Amino acid sequence: MTAHAQPRELRTDNRVSGRRPLARAAASRRNRNIALLFLTPFALLFLAVYIIPIAYTVDQSLYKLRHDGLGLGAPTKVFNALGNYADVLRDSAFTGSIERVLLIGLVQVPIMLGLALLLALLLDARSTVLKRFFRLAYFLPYALPGVVGSLMWAYLVDPGLSPITALAHDIGWNLNPTSSRMLAPTIGNMLTWGWTGYNMLIIYSALQAIPPELSEAARMDGCSAWRISWHVKIPMVRPALILTTVFSIIGTAQLYNEPATLQTVAPNVGSSYTPIFAAFTAVADNDFPYAATESVILALLTLIVSFGFLRLVQRTGSIR
Amino acid sequence: MRKRWIAAAAGVAAAATFGLSGCSSSGTSGTSGSTQGPASGPVSLTFWGWAPGYQQSVALWNKSHPDIQIDWETVAPGSKGGYTKMLTAVKAGNAPCLAQVGYETLPSFAAAGALQDVTQYASPDQGQFAAWTWNQVTIEGKTYGIPVDAAPMALLYNKTLFAKYGITAPPATWAEYSADAAKIHQADPKVYIGYFGNDAYNYAGLDWQDNAPWFTTPNSSWRLGFTSSAGEQVASYWQGLVSRHLLSTDQSYSPSLYKDMAAGRILSDVNAVWDAPLLASSVGKSQSGQWAVAPMPVWNASAPAYGNDGGSATAVLNGCKDPQQATEFADWMSTDSGSVTNLIDVTGIYPAATSGLSNPALSAPNAYYGNQVVYDVFKAEMPQINTSWLWGPTMTQVSTDLGNDLGSVETGSQTVAGMLGDVQSKTAAQLTQQGISVSGG
Amino acid sequence: MSTLQIGSRPRAASTSPTRRSTPRRSDSSRWLILGVMTISVVYFLAPVWWLLVSSTKSDSGLFSGNGFWFNGFHLWSNIRSVFAQDNGIYARWLLNTLVYAGLGAALSTLFASLAGYALAKFPFRGSGALFNIVLAAVLVPQPLLAIPLYLLFSPVHLVNTYWAVLIPSMVSPFGVYLARIYAAASVPDEVLEAARLDGSGEVRTFFQISLRVMSPALVTIFLFQFVSIWSNYLLPALMLANESLQPVTVGIVGWQQQHGSGNAVPTNVVITAAALCVVPLVILFLSLQRFWRSGMTSGSVK
Repeated sequence: MTAHAQPRELRTDNRVSGRRPLARAAASRRNRNIALLFLTPFALLFLAVYIIPIAYTVDQSLYKLRHDGLGLGAPTKVFNALGNYADVLRDSAFTGSIERVLLIGLVQVPIMLGLALLLALLLDARSTVLKRFFRLAYFLPYALPGVVGSLMWAYLVDPGLSPITALAHDIGWNLNPTSSRMLAPTIGNMLTWGWTGYNMLIIYSALQAIPPELSEAARMDGCSAWRISWHVKIPMVRPALILTTVFSIIGTAQLYNEPATLQTVAPNVGSSYTPIFAAFTAVADNDFPYAATESVILALLTLIVSFGFLRLVQRTGSIR
Repeated sequence: MRKRWIAAAAGVAAAATFGLSGCSSSGTSGTSGSTQGPASGPVSLTFWGWAPGYQQSVALWNKSHPDIQIDWETVAPGSKGGYTKMLTAVKAGNAPCLAQVGYETLPSFAAAGALQDVTQYASPDQGQFAAWTWNQVTIEGKTYGIPVDAAPMALLYNKTLFAKYGITAPPATWAEYSADAAKIHQADPKVYIGYFGNDAYNYAGLDWQDNAPWFTTPNSSWRLGFTSSAGEQVASYWQGLVSRHLLSTDQSYSPSLYKDMAAGRILSDVNAVWDAPLLASSVGKSQSGQWAVAPMPVWNASAPAYGNDGGSATAVLNGCKDPQQATEFADWMSTDSGSVTNLIDVTGIYPAATSGLSNPALSAPNAYYGNQVVYDVFKAEMPQINTSWLWGPTMTQVSTDLGNDLGSVETGSQTVAGMLGDVQSKTAAQLTQQGISVSGG
Repeated sequence: MSTLQIGSRPRAASTSPTRRSTPRRSDSSRWLILGVMTISVVYFLAPVWWLLVSSTKSDSGLFSGNGFWFNGFHLWSNIRSVFAQDNGIYARWLLNTLVYAGLGAALSTLFASLAGYALAKFPFRGSGALFNIVLAAVLVPQPLLAIPLYLLFSPVHLVNTYWAVLIPSMVSPFGVYLARIYAAASVPDEVLEAARLDGSGEVRTFFQISLRVMSPALVTIFLFQFVSIWSNYLLPALMLANESLQPVTVGIVGWQQQHGSGNAVPTNVVITAAALCVVPLVILFLSLQRFWRSGMTSGSVK
């Protein structure tokens, strides 16, 4: 999918084989043999760790576990064709969870990437001091293992223990991060905190790759730093922004850790708060086929949204 | 450049062999541990669980039984991933022989085909256990394991602070509890008698007490009783307390709950026997000696009945090749006096074995609870606990739904009665969807 | 410049002599920038600061007083408790994590760079489709693949061994993506052609020339993969039952979950254990940052 975002890059592939037809065929065959040799270790592992489990998941989504009598004996597995898909799409808890992550994503992803871009541009600015310190500070949340982050946030958002709530109370703000209205913002905050640094680093690296002559030339023309950022730097890091957006879409679709953390202190986070949460609940109920169906639907939806986004930027990109 | 590459490759190779050696040393303990046939030589069985103290009992057994060695492996608590791991391992065919499984989850395990019928080895042991605990491990006439403990409920309360608010005798009935709740909250609006938590099985204990069974099986089909009239009595009672804001809304077992208790803002907890050490360690030393244990408040003082919240079995999982030895160990762990003493001291269990009731560890005074012999309260309650309670085959889903809805009740977006109606209809739908027969409502 | 280049500018070195002659930016915008960056630092570091401060508190002092400030100093005794708990298993967990993350990241970086390089430099019919399949795999919810993986690993006796965590750690589709783009942009075809004319085999050329040119991307792939393995919880929690094989994340959660029993691990020990397991990552980042910097700044003289 990302190849669509890199049309010019794809073209470089053809450069090697842009000769006479016969030689091209020979080169292609030779290329294939070398490529296969280089690809083998990754391909074998990829097959074992991704393709086979995915195939298994898709296969399981076509079955259903049936009981009889009081249902206290081992179930039988019966073929159910697309029956599970119909059930999942009718399951209001699941469709509700999809709507929820869509909303969270629509609000949180732009905020996070905007912040990441801003910080990357500031880090890239020539006059900024203490660059190494700032870069490490922004990146640190990403380096915290998820379970450590969870442990930490569970205390930081618990209205009874949170030092943040305590500070807010001191200034007269009755903040409760776990109230029903605040759940989504709290999750959004945890996501922004954890992933801005990661995205910033990707954008920052892309900024570093911009030839300094470009900015210099603009500066000689009397452009202000803000104008240079807007007209030179941001267009140049467009591919990085597209990449981080797609990653953020995928990450939001697979949201699990943050709501699961929150559930330990907020009783109002339901067990199908997000699609992955719902799938885990189905697994705990020993209904893997249902969980598999939910995963496949989620993957397809993610594909559609990511593709839709790439199409969109492609179109606006060509207009620009 | 080349030299460095070779050095790196050597490093990788060395690390790989390190990995390999780790693999071979643990390979046997990971599988069901039944590489040897039942008759020949010593067998080694794996046991998965999470309760502290089990490991020490296993060590005691291993010392005295060289022919049957048990490998204890700690897994996450059942509802936090332990059960999923066990079910997955059974599906993969490499489950351990033995597993710690709560009574409430055993029917779900049976429904997943994850348990092994050990009736022929276990039935001679039946007489050693409280009858109802044996019923919990026997499903449709097949015994799947050995009971370990029972979990009678009581009122754990801060005696010193109760007295401060003028309550000298703990509430014996729910009517008194409600009156005391109002009295305390009126004296100080920041202080509550207790909390309305979100632990589904704690709520089940309240229904258990009032003989409002969730599951019954008349005519070989399930009949759901979440919204029975007895169930509605319990529901409207707690709804009343919640609506009048007489209970705090802390989450069950959360750090903030214990912080509130330690700060003197929550004065009691209606909970099971195993909560006594948990509460003591969580609230902390500052209130040591202030707490006490009283019988669970009852509906009818002339005919008292009490609830149960928890209790678990040592189950034999499907695929175990040495079920006889597994059963032998499980029975030993629940009945041997050394093992039971250890489980009482470390795990804080109330033994399911009748012989365990005379264990001296039960008569030890508890300093945190003002040197009270707390087990005496639970012992006195035991004969008045309904012994016919049944769990359904979809308890994981039921407890998830109930836990979610209890959370909504806490935040006021749901009523207790609405919650029970919701759980009843979701459970019926789930059972029907799996092809299980449900009758009535 | 149509592609994303992480780590460094793959172009040939160039200097920018005009740099010093440009006018300095005004002081006010400098302060504005510093202000924004400082507020952001507070936002990102406050929770980490809480973790650090909490790891210096005693169990009873944990939730009394201001969470963001010290309350007695028990850091050393807390650290001793962490390493003494359960017969010192914490050190073993750290070592395990180091093996999983170090070995897993190193091998995944090697395999990803081989694959990405092949896709970039030796295109063949179907290579584009192959690349897209690899990328599409990222869309599938990872956590749920753990169960099929368990079922797959069981019959071949990989469950509850180092391999159960290592093998999945060796695969990085994102790494392939980065390596392909980087190789396409930074390894000149002319150099490969020249090596070929010199009689160098493709494998030798890769290890002796291309790998070196791609090193900034390799550092990036290694770091991202290292962090993701270090953080991984669900997969090892499912795959490993033997405590002495577990990584530190699974171990810490295990301690945390013992909460609910009479002799649970004290909360201050759990929090200190959590804070300690971040230290190696910070050290790694700081030491790799130098490589990163050299990669990133190789094109401009500062």
